[in-house]
Amino acid sequence: MPADAKLSHTAAMILQAIHAGHIYGFSVMQMTGLPSGTVYPAMRRLERDGLIFSKWEQQSIADAEQRPPRKYYRLTRTGRATLEAAWERYPLLEKMIPTPVVERA
Amino acid sequence: MKRDRIAAARAYANVRAASLLVPRDKRAAWTAEWIAEIYHLSHASRADFADSPGASPLEFSRGVFPDAFWLRRDHLRTHGLPGLHAGSAGRCALILASLAATALFVCLIAPDARRALFPLHPARSADLVTISPAGYAGAESPGISLQEYLEWQADTEKLFSELSWYHPTVKNVALADEPSARLSIGLASANFLQLLRVPIPGDAPGSAEPTLVLTQSAWRTWYHSNPRIVGRSASIDGKPVRIAVLRDDNDPLPEAMQAWLLEDPAALQQFSPHARGFAFARIRSSAFPAPRGGVRIMFETRRGVTHVFDCVSLSWLAWQPTSNFLFALLLACLALPATTALPLGDYPRYRGRMVFRISARRWAFLALKLLLLLAVVYLASIALAWGPAWPASTSVFLQVIIAFSTLLFGFRWSLQDQRRRCPECLRRLSSPARVGQASCNFLSWNGTELFCVRGHGLLHIPELPTSWCSTQRWLCLDSSWRCLFPENCAASPELV
Repeated sequence: MPADAKLSHTAAMILQAIHAGHIYGFSVMQMTGLPSGTVYPAMRRLERDGLIFSKWEQQSIADAEQRPPRKYYRLTRTGRATLEAAWERYPLLEKMIPTPVVERA
Repeated sequence: MKRDRIAAARAYANVRAASLLVPRDKRAAWTAEWIAEIYHLSHASRADFADSPGASPLEFSRGVFPDAFWLRRDHLRTHGLPGLHAGSAGRCALILASLAATALFVCLIAPDARRALFPLHPARSADLVTISPAGYAGAESPGISLQEYLEWQADTEKLFSELSWYHPTVKNVALADEPSARLSIGLASANFLQLLRVPIPGDAPGSAEPTLVLTQSAWRTWYHSNPRIVGRSASIDGKPVRIAVLRDDNDPLPEAMQAWLLEDPAALQQFSPHARGFAFARIRSSAFPAPRGGVRIMFETRRGVTHVFDCVSLSWLAWQPTSNFLFALLLACLALPATTALPLGDYPRYRGRMVFRISARRWAFLALKLLLLLAVVYLASIALAWGPAWPASTSVFLQVIIAFSTLLFGFRWSLQDQRRRCPECLRRLSSPARVGQASCNFLSWNGTELFCVRGHGLLHIPELPTSWCSTQRWLCLDSSWRCLFPENCAASPELV
């Protein structure tokens, strides 16, 4: 997917939430206010289009906390470029889901 | 606490149920991700998610279904249905089966087509005939006058064990507290339903009023299936009648009447003697054998008048759509060799590849295709010819024409389709290419070459049949050629 492709508002919100450090599906839901039935299919689509990628948490961390490992999501380089293009299209995006200062630097 | 555990268990059950929709290669990872999130949600502090949407595990787990659906849809879009690729045998069979199902659906929703499709009723035994003044065509319109019926009642005792008559008409039925209903009514002799072996519920023998027997559909349409009208007195042209309702509409009644008014002989004699209607009879076995189709009868009444009429078997009439189709099938089979070549081509046993299993599969596919084609044509010809309310003779003519032309076209297509398929995987061959020129080859061939996209072989179709290449010929390729063909390129390790 080219970086200048137009994202829907929902997809842009999800990218922004992941960019802001909300890397698990449920935390994306919490941050965007969208239901799970919207967030997860949208994340699958973004992953298929190469804007985000997923990884499993290390088993040792999950074992230490006696819980199953969770899957987390990160932006790809294309995803980052696409999000930056989306900021111009949706100027309020950063205000709705602010990016931590450390992340932006 | 117990409620939380139950909610979590239901959420896990949702995940397990939805995981069945997820493609198999992604199922384990997908299930693990959802279970981990639900576990996290169930064991985290409630205060963390107080204002979050979908904070309960059960509510959160409702998203598994849209997610699983999306994955399945995406998988189908990229991979297609298994075994149903473009040009595959499965897709061909599925299309034919869908056409047959559509034609069957049309037959079921069109009442006349449904009657033509499911004609049999136990009462329509071979001895039940309709009396026609002019052969089969005469059985379609009212041709027997009331006067003739009344005369024959006494004079045909040796021929028929029972004889009845009805005259189709349209009348207003007035019932107190109900709107007036305009119904198509058969004014029939009292023994009419008895002759057809149709029971009348609530029949009260000895009642002074004639009985108006409503069909289930008329009862439902005009009286909303009101059980209180049964047995009540209604009025037709100011004459009182008692209402009864047939148990079901799956009866052997010959015409699509909404009601039957059963009149005793004395009341029938008050009608015009020239009123024309349909007569039905049961043949006395001692008189003559029940006819297969129809039989012409001549007899003399006591007054010395000679009558000639035809007895047309109702069971034969009921099987007419099937016999028409079989007739069209016979004609199509006879005409087929004149319109296309029948051989399917030359498939040699090349290097042991054309083993019995492959050959049997090819023939089984051809047989399945032909069977589905017969079903499609049979059902479609009934739906088109008998669905609309045309006269029976028109329907017969139309059905034969439709069935013959469609069968001929269908058989030609089946054979041509079979010749253009790979004998191993049964997929349509692709990429036709011209090979050679008629004036520039010597003991070679010129024509068209097609190949199987999976690399099973090449099909050579000669443009001009010669003594050394008279018919299309299949050339098997061994597996070393496979990597050159489109479907195998991605999977071939040599090309990566």
